[in-house]
Amino acid sequence: MPGSFGSITSALSALRYQQVALDVAGNNIANATTDGYVRRRVVGEAVSSAAPALWSRYDGHGEGVAVGEVRRMVDPLLDTRVRREHGMLSWLTSSQEVLARVEEGIGEPGENGVHAALLAFRNSWQDLATNPGGDAARQQVLGSAETLAQALRLQVANVAGEEADQRVRLNNVVSEVNTAAAGLAQLNQSILVTEQNGTDAGVLRDQRDQLALRLAELAGAVTTVRADGQYDVTVGGEALVSGREAGAFVVASGVTPAGDADGLPITFRVDASWGSTVLPSGAAGAGGELGGVTDVLTTALPSYRTGLDAIAADLASALNAQHVLGYDAAGAAGGPFFSYDPLVGAASLQVAITDPALVAASSVTGGGRDGANADALSRAGDAADAYQRLVNGFGTTVASLQRQSANQTALTGSLDDAREQQAGVNLDEETVNMVTAQRAYEAAARLMTTLDEVLDTLINRTGVVGR
Amino acid sequence: MSIGRVTQRMLTDGSLDNLQRGLGRLARIQEQLSTGRVINRPSDNPTGTTAAMRLRGSLADQAQYSRNAQDGLGWLTQVDAALDSVTGTVKRARDLALQGANASAAGPVAREALAIEVEGLRAELLSRANTTYLDSPVFGGVTAGPVAYDATGAYVGTLGDVNRRIADGVVVKVDVDGPDAFGDGATSVFAELDALATALRAGDQAGISAGINVLNARIETVTAARTAAGTRFQRLEQADLAAADARISLENQLSTIENADLAETTVDLKLQEVAYQAALAATSRVMQPSLLDFLR
Repeated sequence: MPGSFGSITSALSALRYQQVALDVAGNNIANATTDGYVRRRVVGEAVSSAAPALWSRYDGHGEGVAVGEVRRMVDPLLDTRVRREHGMLSWLTSSQEVLARVEEGIGEPGENGVHAALLAFRNSWQDLATNPGGDAARQQVLGSAETLAQALRLQVANVAGEEADQRVRLNNVVSEVNTAAAGLAQLNQSILVTEQNGTDAGVLRDQRDQLALRLAELAGAVTTVRADGQYDVTVGGEALVSGREAGAFVVASGVTPAGDADGLPITFRVDASWGSTVLPSGAAGAGGELGGVTDVLTTALPSYRTGLDAIAADLASALNAQHVLGYDAAGAAGGPFFSYDPLVGAASLQVAITDPALVAASSVTGGGRDGANADALSRAGDAADAYQRLVNGFGTTVASLQRQSANQTALTGSLDDAREQQAGVNLDEETVNMVTAQRAYEAAARLMTTLDEVLDTLINRTGVVGR
Repeated sequence: MSIGRVTQRMLTDGSLDNLQRGLGRLARIQEQLSTGRVINRPSDNPTGTTAAMRLRGSLADQAQYSRNAQDGLGWLTQVDAALDSVTGTVKRARDLALQGANASAAGPVAREALAIEVEGLRAELLSRANTTYLDSPVFGGVTAGPVAYDATGAYVGTLGDVNRRIADGVVVKVDVDGPDAFGDGATSVFAELDALATALRAGDQAGISAGINVLNARIETVTAARTAAGTRFQRLEQADLAAADARISLENQLSTIENADLAETTVDLKLQEVAYQAALAATSRVMQPSLLDFLR
């Protein structure tokens, strides 16, 4: 037989519980647009002291309600997928942005690019062939050669400038990785301590999930959850964060702290109390933005630059070989037409002749007005073909990256949607929760009033017959 | 996509994404319309870019071939005009020789007059043989000097072909070697006329009739050289026409690959505009309602 005041306790527990429900709904609404906030839900538990016993019997019907837990609506499996795909997306977009920027500087197909300069150069030799005696035609050859050399040098400078920018960016990303890893290790510790105190660590968990996602975006880091709830983070298979300890992520070779190239392939290393390990290179190594930047710095940009170098080298050697076979306006044998340093590359391509009379248009000695060598020079080398192939290759790379990142954006978007379905705040839902809690609170208060009246009847109106 | 639970943020993010995408498509078509080109960078169409670059290369080549052919035509026109007048002059000299042969008894004064006229013809021939085009003597080969023959009738040019490239792998000679038409030194037309003048003065009948034979042979030589030049003239003209035709067809191809179809792009723009406006309208409606509007 429950006591007379038992129900008052139930009503009190209901009032308390609904208060919490209102708090949680209010907090959800307040954070409806907060990045990384995961909605909470109050899980109530009916309280009962009923227990199986041999000699005593519980004849109550429950003693109200208590807050079981305030649950963060996360799906660890989904979060893992979100992190993986975000890492991939940031790899693709960061490399695509870089290459697209370089591509804008190519200016093909058009009238101002290297190809147009090559054609103008070729035709200026033909014009000289038709008028080998004219100073103007000789000057035109030198002018168009300078334009061509300049166009090639400009493109190489564009690529080299982009490479320098990306090396600086690489260092910045590495330092951001370290900050995020240290923050995550710190949070691991805080969450453990806070939850042992029995305090709700939901906000800390939100922050930790955000850092884990950021690490995935920055370096393609993979996060695994330990049995005790702490996050371990690995990059390229090597542990970066283990519990409350974070290793130092450093550039092992390839880029100096000042952002210069040191001639070695780019590699990374994790220095930690559990050892110092160099990460594998390529797709097995760091991913995310770091992987994308490393990739363009290792393959796409250098290969385009060496392609330009090869074109400049072929152009210089083909033109020089043909030019020395001819004779200049005075009848003397021609010297080299272009100067080129194979150690420096296309950036060193210069026209070696400044005096128009030294252009060796003639194929006969003795200073005749012959243009046969100019004609041969117009056909020397196949720089135009090589350049077409190079531009085609680069354009194909950029186009395929664009397609891939468009696909990846769609995939990541749908995963983000799925995560939002799980963790996002729906204002209608919270309003309903709020109204429900409000009504339940009112009902509990009414219960209290009812009990009060019952007790009033019992205490004040019992045994007063005939009074 | 199956949607279990929809949140306000999903709607906001989704709408923003869609608006961005719509605006991106709009910007792309806008770029095509304002530049008039569908290929603005290699990645827009890598294969098309290569084709466009190749076509631009061929176009530049054809324009150059056309210029070369025009220049060659200038040379050969000059050559033709010179040889035409040379034929006339040599014929006139032969006529004078015939007169001299028939009028051998006419006396030294008449013969002297003939001889003087022959010498005048020789001077005229010399100036023809030194005809220039753009400061180069057209019969002088690749000489850097101003004349092909000096006053004595000796060839002072430099033998060598003046060639013009008029198509891929086709090279045409646009001058005539002086000796082929005029001979050189002792065997030149000038020496022949000198000999004729001498024979006329002396009344040397044998010399005059030998001169007539020699001049007949010279006329044939010059005509042959002129015919050969005429054939090459024709080749140049054909090449010029072919280059012009090729340019038109290449320009058409280039335009097909590179340029935006105005009608199609405009319709596309309109479509994207409508889509974008619809997205905006949908967004404004989706953003508005909430349960709160209906609770008092």
